[in-house]
Amino acid sequence: MAGHMNAAPAPAPAVTTIQARGLRKCYGDHVAVAGLDLDIAEGEFFGLLGRNGSGKTTTLHMLSTLIRPTSGTASVAGEDILARPVAVRARIGLVFQESALDRSLSVEENLQFAGALYDLPPALVRRRTDELLKLFDLGSKRRVAVGALSGGMRRALDIARGVLHRPRVLFLDEPTIGLDVINRRAIWRFLARLRQEQGVTVVLTTHYLEEAVDCDRVVFMSHGKIIGSGKPVELIRSLATSILEITADDAASIIARLKPILGDCIQDADHVQFRVRDGTATLADWQRQLPPVHALALREPDLNDVYVWMNHGAGGTPA
Amino acid sequence: MKRAIAAIIGRELKRMVRQRGRLVAAMIRPLVWLFIIGSGFQALVEGGGQGHYKQFMVPGLLCMVLLFGAMLAALSLVYDKESGVMRMLVIAPFSHYWIVLARILSAAIAAIFQALLLVVVLISFRLFGLDYFGLPANLSLSALGLVLTSLTCATTGMLIAVHSKTLDNFAVIMNFVIFPMFFLSGALYPLEHLPPILKAFALVNPFSYGVDLMKHSILRDVPANFSADLNVGTDIAVMAAYITLGTIVACLRFSQVSVREKLAKALSGSRRA
Repeated sequence: MAGHMNAAPAPAPAVTTIQARGLRKCYGDHVAVAGLDLDIAEGEFFGLLGRNGSGKTTTLHMLSTLIRPTSGTASVAGEDILARPVAVRARIGLVFQESALDRSLSVEENLQFAGALYDLPPALVRRRTDELLKLFDLGSKRRVAVGALSGGMRRALDIARGVLHRPRVLFLDEPTIGLDVINRRAIWRFLARLRQEQGVTVVLTTHYLEEAVDCDRVVFMSHGKIIGSGKPVELIRSLATSILEITADDAASIIARLKPILGDCIQDADHVQFRVRDGTATLADWQRQLPPVHALALREPDLNDVYVWMNHGAGGTPA
Repeated sequence: MKRAIAAIIGRELKRMVRQRGRLVAAMIRPLVWLFIIGSGFQALVEGGGQGHYKQFMVPGLLCMVLLFGAMLAALSLVYDKESGVMRMLVIAPFSHYWIVLARILSAAIAAIFQALLLVVVLISFRLFGLDYFGLPANLSLSALGLVLTSLTCATTGMLIAVHSKTLDNFAVIMNFVIFPMFFLSGALYPLEHLPPILKAFALVNPFSYGVDLMKHSILRDVPANFSADLNVGTDIAVMAAYITLGTIVACLRFSQVSVREKLAKALSGSRRA
């Protein structure tokens, strides 16, 4: 079934910036990535989604030439990752899960250092530093030591560091991991601004699946394989109009009653969830049909649900 | 590439200057040796004639500053393996062996800076009538000696750094590498009087050649029993060969697939996820 869930796959990209064929990485007996095919278009905002250990970071590291694939090939920004890794690195930016900054240096000094590593003239680094610090609301922190910045500011600076040399592709490995909700929103806001201003292709991984809803396209990974892909809104729309969640002691009787109406469900002990495809019924309507339960909720589906149901459909465990 | 290397060196010097403690310790260590050990030994050898022991010690102590300065700076690569800076370096658009080359270079330069600082301190002692250090016998040879010795020490530190995972065994390195290199180098006593086994150890110690070259270039008017043991050409050739070979080994090791994969794993932070 090739893992594609919705009927209409995303249209073939106009200019391909990243192309991977049969990308595979094994560590001894462990298969981290099991033969990946990817086509990512110029300017696309692309999400690589999945739980921890699903192979997202390994994929990112292969595409950014930090590790070599066991087999398979890929080209990034027109350069082959195996034949010309240095050329690939010149054209990409990578933001790791953990900070790639020197805590002992100031905000400005970190960007100067990063700029020098890309052989940028100091005047250019100064100009871009001004632009980026403004873009990421860090203008007032210029001379502050990185060690004294908050987690959110540090992540923002790390992203600024990643795009200082105007890469054609920006890889972000879990850009919001370890941040609180407010800072997470700020990071997504910065990324939107960055894409608007620079039109850079962004490839990110995240296991906060619901956050990837603004991506142009997402791919779901599980155990090193792609289990589904598509546009977030379409994936969500084709999953359901809403999700009905019920917590009850006698889950079996609830399932018996609702299965004929709503079809398949996902059960986890006394918790059951159904997909509702007909959006007219209200929570009160459902309540009337059911015996008393502990909890009943009708909510909008998100990418998390898409992933859970995808795994369910594939016969996997709903992570 | 020039900008990148300059930035890596600049960062090392900036860090050295900002970590005042490290710099002060680097100055005090040789002075303790000069005043305490030096005074004791001088009294011991005084019987033999003039009091030249402290002057004799100066080349060795300059080398000691190079040894500690360069080794510690190069060994800090082990800490950096999991640091933000290493993330910036591995993703930068140059081959990974440049990271090793730039680190060796920056460690050597930081060490030379410290040695020159000690020279300034020693010269300023003349104001108090303490004549330990005057104009070197051969200025350009001393410059060459500083460069080669610091590179020798930096290469040694880098060879250890690229082979070790953590510096939990730092004390081990201190006790079983740095101190033996110093004691078995002719820095404190001429090699010629050593028992044959120790002398053999001293001769496989690349640092000995640095100390010897510095004695050649700095010492003047010392009695024959305090002069250098080897010849200048040998000193230069041995160190040049050691630096070249050691650097190549360190670069190859750092570019090895298994080492790079471990590094990528450490840098990805997935251990903590």
